[in-house]
Amino acid sequence: MIHFKNVSKFYPPDVIGLDTVNLRVEPGEFISIVGQSGTGKSTLAKLLFAEERPSKGTVEIGGWDITKISPNDVPLLRRQIGVVFQDFKLLQKKTVYENVAFALQVAGIPSVRVREVVPRVLSIVGLDDKSHRFPQQLSGGEQQRVAIARALVHQPKILVADEPTGNLDTLNSRDILELLKKINEFGTTVVLVTHDHEIVNRLKRRVITLDGGKIVSDVEEGRYKL
Amino acid sequence: MLTSTYRIIKFAFQNFWRNIWLSVITISMLVLTLLTINILLVLNRVTDQAISFVENRIEVSVYFNENADPAKVTDALTYLRTLPQVKDVQEIYADDALVAFKQRHAGDQAILSSLDELGKNPFGPTLIIKAHSAKDFDAIIAALDNPRFRDAIRQKDFSDYQSIVSKIRQTTDEIRTGGIVLSAIFFLIALLIIFNTVRVAIFIHREEIGIMRLVGASSNFIRMPFLVETIILSLLSILIVIAIVYPTLAFIEPKFNQYFGSGTTGLVSYFEQHGLLIFGAQFLALLVVTMGSTALAMRKHLKV
Ligand SMILES: Nc1ncnc2c1ncn2[C@@H]1O[C@H](COP(=O)(O)OP(=O)(O)OP(=O)(O)O)[C@@H](O)[C@H]1O
Ligand SMILES: [Mg+2]
Repeated sequence: MIHFKNVSKFYPPDVIGLDTVNLRVEPGEFISIVGQSGTGKSTLAKLLFAEERPSKGTVEIGGWDITKISPNDVPLLRRQIGVVFQDFKLLQKKTVYENVAFALQVAGIPSVRVREVVPRVLSIVGLDDKSHRFPQQLSGGEQQRVAIARALVHQPKILVADEPTGNLDTLNSRDILELLKKINEFGTTVVLVTHDHEIVNRLKRRVITLDGGKIVSDVEEGRYKL
Repeated sequence: MLTSTYRIIKFAFQNFWRNIWLSVITISMLVLTLLTINILLVLNRVTDQAISFVENRIEVSVYFNENADPAKVTDALTYLRTLPQVKDVQEIYADDALVAFKQRHAGDQAILSSLDELGKNPFGPTLIIKAHSAKDFDAIIAALDNPRFRDAIRQKDFSDYQSIVSKIRQTTDEIRTGGIVLSAIFFLIALLIIFNTVRVAIFIHREEIGIMRLVGASSNFIRMPFLVETIILSLLSILIVIAIVYPTLAFIEPKFNQYFGSGTTGLVSYFEQHGLLIFGAQFLALLVVTMGSTALAMRKHLKV
């Protein structure tokens, strides 16, 4: 599903974001990417949804070489990859429903289909009863669930979550983690970038540790050790 | 496709309403720019009227000797009427000239008594020539040097008019040049204002734009609302200008007419007849400028 071949990313002037990373992720996997601050976790995530291009090496997503993806094709890629961030990235002036519908509307999906899909993903994340609230009227965990619902509207093959629990307390973090596991069980490959020891330890899934832009460990059913 | 078009227009209107103050400021500036251009148009038209008003009143007076042969005067009269530059020639007979002179100086006893002392009519026949345009006077005056009647002419009274005409011509040319420069400056200002409005709009919407990009909106979908919003702003501006210009013209036209006496400036009817052309051209020019600067602002600040 995901294939990094000798991928390096340099930021000008001479910052190394990633250093010769080789990585293969199979469909349906749930991987965690851990490591200290500034070790290239977000850089790796950004390469997945073409927010950044590799300086060296190749990146393949589902057999599609996106190393030199053209700007016109980026929207197509993004409709196949859901992304979730620490800061939720919700539009404050739109309701929960509108925030989720927005992702479909900007992709030119007909309104009939929008009215079908939005309630479905909202019920997956358990927010069907709060669809008319605004983000400020929700807890952090609920806001993150809205963001996840939005990431799911195109039934993505991959869900990339960059520190989705970074702003949440333990209980809310656990809820989000359970939700990600549920989404993974539906067949979506999940890439979770995190700092959170507890989460990694609870997951008991594949853990990749980055240090200085290199993969320093890659273990099945790993634990957070740093 | 239809769905997307509808949504793009909807987003454009949303942008417009959500930043209503920015929209109001932009429209105000565009309206001011357009108003200035229309004021220049009116000024241009009024200047034209003023020139023809003055030109209508410029005459060359040709004074013949008091004992001039009436046949020569008639000859000159017929000859002048054949000239294409001449609009009208009027003959004032010697007796009438005397009466007119006496009337003009009715209060001035000294002049009247010296006229009496003279004992006879000191005036000869006079021809008063009106031309179609001030430019034509040179040609008319040259024509009066015709040897057929040159000797019978005592005096051609035109020198003052020449300087008036050239002064008007110079002033008009200056006003036109100034107007063109001003319009150019205002268009430049309009361009900068729109550029800035779009820049600010992109800044305000940076979060929304970032989210659109993340969830896979095409760059067209992100850009089009800005262009549509620009069209809305331009359209509203021109409509407001139209709503201001016509009543204002209707209000000021009688005042101009008063100034010009009997002649009418015909401002309202001019704008009524050519309204579609005048405002259509302004709207098109406005669109070109605003869309151009929107595109420029997007190229610079909207990296999608
Ligand atoms: N756009 C950029 N321009 C220059 N340098 C960058 C840029 N983005 C990241 N970097 C640098 O690349 C390195 C890796 O950054 P990255 O964001 O991938 O780290 P991270 O592991 O996600 O850190 P954190 O846990 O703090 O989020 C850092 O040294 C960072 O300063
Ligand atoms: Mg990061």
